[in-house]
Amino acid sequence: MDDLKKGMEVTEAKFKLTLCDGTACIHKHSKELLLAVESELDKHGLRQAVKINLSGCLGMCKDGPILIVNPGFVMYGGVRVEDVPEIVQSHLVDNKAVTRLIISPDYLYNRFFRVFGDVDFFGRQMRICLRNCGIIDPENIDDYLALRGYEALAKALEMMTPQEVVDEVKKSGLRGRGGAGFSTGLKWEFTAKQVSDRKYVICNADEGDPGAFMDRSAIEGDPHTVLEGMIIAGYAIGASKGVVYIRAEYPLAIKRLEKAIAAAREHNLLGSGILGSNFDFDIEIRLGAGAFVCGEETALIHSIEGSRGMPRPRPPYPSVSGLFGKPTLINNVETWANIPVILLDGADWFSSIGTETSKGTKVFALAGKVHNTGLVEVPMGTTLREIIYDIGGGIPKGKMFKAVQTGGPSGGCLPEQYLDTQIDYESLAKAGSIMGSGGMIVIDEDACMVSLARFFIEFTQDESCGKCTPCREGTKRMYDILTRITEGKGRPGDIELLERLGGMIKRASLCGLGQSAPNPVLSTIKNFREEYEEHIHAKTCRAGQCTAMLSFTVNEKCIGCGACKRVCPVAAVEGARREKHRILPDKCIRCGQCYEACKFDAITRA
Amino acid sequence: MLTPMQIIKNKRAEAVHRIIGKGYLSTRRVYVGMATCEIAAGSKDVMQVFRQAIADGVTDVYLSQKGCAGRCNLEPTVEVIEEGKIPVKYGRVSPQRARDIVERHLKKGEVITEWMI
Repeated sequence: MDDLKKGMEVTEAKFKLTLCDGTACIHKHSKELLLAVESELDKHGLRQAVKINLSGCLGMCKDGPILIVNPGFVMYGGVRVEDVPEIVQSHLVDNKAVTRLIISPDYLYNRFFRVFGDVDFFGRQMRICLRNCGIIDPENIDDYLALRGYEALAKALEMMTPQEVVDEVKKSGLRGRGGAGFSTGLKWEFTAKQVSDRKYVICNADEGDPGAFMDRSAIEGDPHTVLEGMIIAGYAIGASKGVVYIRAEYPLAIKRLEKAIAAAREHNLLGSGILGSNFDFDIEIRLGAGAFVCGEETALIHSIEGSRGMPRPRPPYPSVSGLFGKPTLINNVETWANIPVILLDGADWFSSIGTETSKGTKVFALAGKVHNTGLVEVPMGTTLREIIYDIGGGIPKGKMFKAVQTGGPSGGCLPEQYLDTQIDYESLAKAGSIMGSGGMIVIDEDACMVSLARFFIEFTQDESCGKCTPCREGTKRMYDILTRITEGKGRPGDIELLERLGGMIKRASLCGLGQSAPNPVLSTIKNFREEYEEHIHAKTCRAGQCTAMLSFTVNEKCIGCGACKRVCPVAAVEGARREKHRILPDKCIRCGQCYEACKFDAITRA
Repeated sequence: MLTPMQIIKNKRAEAVHRIIGKGYLSTRRVYVGMATCEIAAGSKDVMQVFRQAIADGVTDVYLSQKGCAGRCNLEPTVEVIEEGKIPVKYGRVSPQRARDIVERHLKKGEVITEWMI
C-alpha cells in the first residue's frame, strides 16, 4: 500500500528535484540551497508540483553542489543560492533548462538515476560495482561495450605501465570486498613483485553466506566488468591465466559468464595479443561444489587444484605461493568490478568517496524484516540507520527493530544503540560485528536471539572442514548447548561455557571460518544476555519462538471446530465436535501446529 | 597499426551501431528483469508475453532483458522507457499484468500508476 502511494505521489509531481546531501556539498552550502529552492517554489505556488529529494553523496564533489531535475535528468553543478530564482523560473515554470549551469560529467557510475525513476530506493545509493546491473543486457557484449566497456583495459594497455596500474589501484584505497578488507593495491603489488614463469589471477565467486547474493547478482547483471577487472590485473601483475571459481549452485551466473568469456574471446579481449598489444591472457571457469570453507583463499586454491577444499597455514600467502605453487592474486567479485571504474574515473575520484580508512562503496544484500528487501550499494560511511530506514523503508507491520546482523555466519548482531554506526571496516569491527561480504539481515522483535545464534552455529558446524579440532568439535558442542537452551533444558553456567568455548575456537582455529564461527553466539550473548538468562533460568522465550518452552491450552473462544485436532501430529487434542476441546499436556510435543491452525484465537500460548 | 584505445573506440561504435540496428531507437524500450531471483518470481513468462505481443504486431518497441536492479520484494520488474518521459517501472508483474501493460501502456499509452514502483 505504501509503495502504491509513493508511486502516486511521484506521478502527480510534475518535476522531481534531487539535491546532493553529501558532506562536500553541505560544505558548499547545499543546505542553504535547499531553503532557497523551497522558498522560491512557495513564491511560484509550485510546492505541490515539485518533489524534492535529498540524495547521499553523488561523488561529484568537485562540481557540487549538485541539483538534478527530472524528468530529463538535467544536472546542474556549482549551483549558488543566487541561481535558484533563475532555475525555478526558467526550468520549472517556462520549461527551459538553464544551459549555463548544466554539467555533464562523463563518470562511469550512477547512470542509473536516469533509468530508474525510483528515487526513494535509489536516492541514497551510489552504484559503482553495480553500475550496469539492471541497465544492460548481460548476455550481449555490445551493451557493455556501448557504455565504455573495456575502455579501462585499453587505457591500461596503451597509456599505463603495469607498475602504474598497480600504483593507481593502491592510491584508490580500495580494500578487499570479500570480508577481511585487506588493501587490494598491496595484494597486487606483492604478486607483481614475485618473479615466476607463471602467475595466476583468481576471481573468488564462492559466495556462501546464507541470504547473501551480491556476487551472484553482479555476475548475472554485468559479467564483463568482472572479466575486465581480471584482465587488467593480469596485465598489472604479469599473469597470463585467470580462473573464476564459482559455485555450481549458480547456473545462470555460470551460463552468463561462459557467454561473456566466449564473446570477449571473439572480440580479442581475451586470448593472445589482446587489442593489438603483445599481452596474452585467458580466463577459465572452475565450479565449486558449494562448500562454505572454499571461500577461504587457500581452501579455494586446493579445490581448483583438485584436492579437498581445506585451508592451510599462511604464510606463504597466495601472492607468493598460490595455485600450483605459483604467485596468485585472488580478489572477490565485487573488488574486481570496481577496477575498471578506478582506472577510468581515477584513483583520486574513487578515494574521495567513503571514510578515512574505507574508500568507495559497498554492496549489501538487505534481507529480513524490512520493507524494501534487495540489493543496495552505498558509499562507505553511510549509517546502518540510513540503510534500514531510508533505503529499506523500515520494519513492516509496525514492529520494533531489534537487531541487525551483518557479515553472515562470521559476523555479529548489533542492537539499536549501534544503528548510527557508519559502514566501514573499522567502525563495524569496533561495534562488535564485521563488514563481511555484505549480508545484512534485519531482525524484529519477533525473533529469538538464542535461536538465531543456534541457526548460525548450526550452519558453521555443518560447514567446518574438520581439519582443526576446536572448530570441528567446538562448534558442535556450542550447537548442542544452544539446542539444549532453546529446548528449555539450559543449565546455570551454560552462558559462561559458551563464552569459554567461543574464545577457544577463535584462538585455536586455522582459518577465518573457525576464527569467526563463534561470533554470532558471542555477540548475541554480549548484547542480549538477558534473553539467554531468561531461557536458562525462567525457561521462557520472550519471542515465543522456542516452542519447547511453551504450554498450549484451549480457552473459552473454542467452538469445537476440530481444526486443531486434525493437525495435531500426536493426537494430543481431545474433545467432541462443537464442544470445547482440550490439549493433553503429557502428550503435547509443543510443536505449535494447533496454534497456527486455529482460526478463532482459541489456543493460548504461554 | 591501431592502438588499443582506437580499437576499443571502433568496437564501441560498432556495438552502438548493432544495438541501434536491433531497434534501440524505437519510441519505447521495454526491459524485463531476468536474474535468477526475477526468473524465480516468474519473469520468463512475462518476457514471453512481450515477445508474443511483438510477434503479434506491436511495433516500435525495443525489448531487452536486464540483470537484477535490487528490488527483490517487487519482482518481477518491467521497465518501460519512452523518449522524453519519466521512466516507468512496474513491480510484481504477472503474465496477466504484462498483457495489460501491452494493451494499455504500449498500445494506448496509458501509464498504469497502481503497479508502479
